[in-house]
Amino acid sequence: MLYYLFQCRSLTYAQRTAAALERAGISAHMLRSPKSIAGEGCSHSVKVSQRNLTDALKVLHRVGLDPVRVYITQGDGSYREVLL
Amino acid sequence: MIYLDSAATTLQKPPAVARAAAGAIRTMATPGRGGHPPAMAAAAAAFACREEAARLFSVADPAQVVFTSSATHGLNIAIRTLAAPGSTVLISGYEHNAVTRPLHAIPDVTVKIARGQLFDQAAVLEDFDRLLTPEVSLAVTTHVSNVFGFILPVEGIARLCRERGVPLIVDASQSAGCLPVSMEELGAAFIAMPGHKGLYGPQGTGLLLCGSTLPQPLLAGGTGSESKRQEMPGYLPDRLEAGTHNMPGIAGLLEGLRFVRAKGLDRIERHEAALIRRLASGLSGLTGAEVFAGREPGVQAGVLSLRQNGWDCEELGEALARRGVAVRAGLHCAPLAHQSAGTLESGTVRLSVSAFTTAGDVSRFLQEMRRLIR
Repeated sequence: MLYYLFQCRSLTYAQRTAAALERAGISAHMLRSPKSIAGEGCSHSVKVSQRNLTDALKVLHRVGLDPVRVYITQGDGSYREVLL
Repeated sequence: MIYLDSAATTLQKPPAVARAAAGAIRTMATPGRGGHPPAMAAAAAAFACREEAARLFSVADPAQVVFTSSATHGLNIAIRTLAAPGSTVLISGYEHNAVTRPLHAIPDVTVKIARGQLFDQAAVLEDFDRLLTPEVSLAVTTHVSNVFGFILPVEGIARLCRERGVPLIVDASQSAGCLPVSMEELGAAFIAMPGHKGLYGPQGTGLLLCGSTLPQPLLAGGTGSESKRQEMPGYLPDRLEAGTHNMPGIAGLLEGLRFVRAKGLDRIERHEAALIRRLASGLSGLTGAEVFAGREPGVQAGVLSLRQNGWDCEELGEALARRGVAVRAGLHCAPLAHQSAGTLESGTVRLSVSAFTTAGDVSRFLQEMRRLIR
């Protein structure tokens, strides 16, 4: 299944992001960022399904929690950055 | 035992605090150090604690709520961030050594003191107004004196600081959980508080509420974030939280915060004020007792000092301890406050209450005092 990862600048921001999405009725799962996208090393991301991307970004923008970067899963298990 | 030393540590806690701390030892690892359930459980508890504190103290972003080991820890971060060598700092005359010693440790800092008179809020505010001159680059005030329970006019002091563009650090050690403390209303640069007093958390916990200034870390180390970089992260709370978190403490503190919210600040404030009035009234009837009590309502929180004619304060504290009464005697790590009140040479015996102190505790204490000094 295709899904998006919202990379967050800290664990606390990932927690805030997940909480904001859940409050808006959007299912969100927090996880440690895959090493391949972790950038400076060790970060947290929030996973949302493909169909919720637009709504999720709107919610996060409204509460001032725009993700640092957004990635989409590829068929081979890798991630590609999505330029918004 | 009659416990009247809550200004040092609240001994009686809500039962959920100890349960949560014990549960954390069994079930929690460290936030941000793994994706496994014990790490995620720790992350959830830490975040819940930040959110609960942010609600109670009107902090817009839970990330601005930083865990510390004590108010002293938080004050050291705040002071070292804002007090540059050679700068001039204005403080109240009722500060604890947790403020004065860090300032003393910074080279060539000039400290100006707004003393005011004990229990005279207008006089303190006038002194701040007079002394908050252009060379002052930082102001620090305690919200409540840990020796006398004097409630300083922190809202007025904060207003003066905002008008003159001077950052303010508030020491809320004796007010957090007992009086309203609002980051939003005060607009302070930092507010530091312990977890183990009016917030009913375990010892070894504290919170530093951060405003818009990016603080300088006291400690550098692992944060579970941006691990390739050798600089500390440029964002909160990670910037100030190097090393493994005190999860039993944080889990306990969360329950303490929930207790305060459920009980209600107004109710706690009224309860403590009534007990202090009862103590002051009872003590003032004793021969030779000098009671430091505010006359006006709203100038004294749940702390009261006394001197007893013919008694050394430490000896009176010891004698009370032998009779099962826990109080604190001496200078209470606040020589400046004693100097301001004229009690530096004698010290005082301090009585302090909490949401768990009862009118019966006060009556039994007064009974022991009467027996002791007759």
